[in-house]
Amino acid sequence: MSCQEVRDLIPLYLYGELSFDEEERVEQHLASCAACSAERARCEKLTALLGEGEAQVSAELLARCRRDLAAALAKERRRRGFLTAARGIWQRWVVSPPMWMRPVGAVAMLTLGFFGARMLPEDSAALGPLARSSPPAVVGRVRLVDTNSSGEVRVQYEEIRPRELRGSFQDERIRRLLLAAASDPTDPGVRVESIDLLKDRTADAEVRRALINALRTDENAGVRLKALEALRPYAHDPETRQALAQALLTDKHAGVRIAAVDLLADVKEPDVAGALQQLLHQEEDQYIRQRSLKALAEMKASYGTF
Amino acid sequence: MDEAATIRAAQAGDAEAFERLVRSYDQQVLRLAMNLLRDSEDAHDVYQETFLRVFRNLGNFRFDCQFSTWLYRIATNLCLDLLRKRKVRRTEQATVETDEGVVDRLEAVAEARPAGDPQRAALNRELRSSIEHALAGLTPRERLVFELRHYQGMRLKEIGETLGSSEEAAKNCLFRATQKMRQALGEFL
Repeated sequence: MSCQEVRDLIPLYLYGELSFDEEERVEQHLASCAACSAERARCEKLTALLGEGEAQVSAELLARCRRDLAAALAKERRRRGFLTAARGIWQRWVVSPPMWMRPVGAVAMLTLGFFGARMLPEDSAALGPLARSSPPAVVGRVRLVDTNSSGEVRVQYEEIRPRELRGSFQDERIRRLLLAAASDPTDPGVRVESIDLLKDRTADAEVRRALINALRTDENAGVRLKALEALRPYAHDPETRQALAQALLTDKHAGVRIAAVDLLADVKEPDVAGALQQLLHQEEDQYIRQRSLKALAEMKASYGTF
Repeated sequence: MDEAATIRAAQAGDAEAFERLVRSYDQQVLRLAMNLLRDSEDAHDVYQETFLRVFRNLGNFRFDCQFSTWLYRIATNLCLDLLRKRKVRRTEQATVETDEGVVDRLEAVAEARPAGDPQRAALNRELRSSIEHALAGLTPRERLVFELRHYQGMRLKEIGETLGSSEEAAKNCLFRATQKMRQALGEFL
């Protein structure tokens, strides 16, 4: 093996990426060639120097990535859940409905056609006077279906009318609806949107209570995260702080606990130190542990007692 | 629970299992992206997109390669795309604006390092700047292979699999990359 060949192979030799035979030949050459040995030492130094070029990932960046991912995944799961449910409903009730459903389906189609027709423009010649009646509604439940001897069909149903309300947050009705929507069990998306709107109104004690309630009880981690972020300006408020400490110690989702520890670490209160100390006895996530230790050190609190 | 069982649970929709998978690899993925892209916003975007793609496509993962290989393939492809776009647009700059003014891009990412004496700090700054320029002189593929071997400690065989290429091709890339780095950093040796 020539000196040039050996020098070309030294970097791969140092990475341990040569075959057994190649490695053997390189080592034999190095044992007898001072110049190539010196080159090997330079390459080793280069490897050590390159360690200086390694980018450092800050704990803050990691925490932000994890937080944002948790929110993005919550959104993705909502979307997926909706699509799955919609596909299931379509398959079960439209593509292959059970036999007993078919007559009901026929009546439902009839009802749908009836109301559909009423939604057409008023000047539709085909509909005539029918088109000039009340606004459209969603059929909630058909209670009774029968026919009489003359072939007339009778359908008794309940209807759900969507209503729309527009106005500012100062409008008490809007405020009430937003507070109700923040805990609406049917749609986490609506809860997230409501909390997003409420986050600028945390001076209102009732809004804060709704957010604390969402943080404590909402089953969706994305909603809890949103509520936690909204409570940020009130981290010094004892009730809010208590809810944050509870989330830190008991929330199942690490993203929520990370957001809680980030928030509480900035609050230098004795009860926070107690929560952080307690956390160290049970938390497995390394980032949360490190953040707690750092916060305790800044507060000059011990790690072991609580 | 071993990794295969965790993957199967995550495929079945277990959110906690998916989170365990993310936690097993997310620091490496973020470090990889940060090393390659040298920009925290880009690294953040690659992190998000990588794990969202994993989430969306986990059902298609058939265990015909290591999960880590599959995951790194997604992350490295995203990084490669960004690096190639940068090469085309030539937008990568040696400096970056921060709250404290304009600083060297590498300084910004190496801020967590402890400060030594001023002379050593100046030498380190110079060295880091030279490494940065040397890395910028590599092609995206060379940079990726170098990153995966040198900083992530992956074997060339695995790198080849991750990049959908052969071990030999990865070896050639690493060879070219180390030659270039050796040449660019000769003054420090």
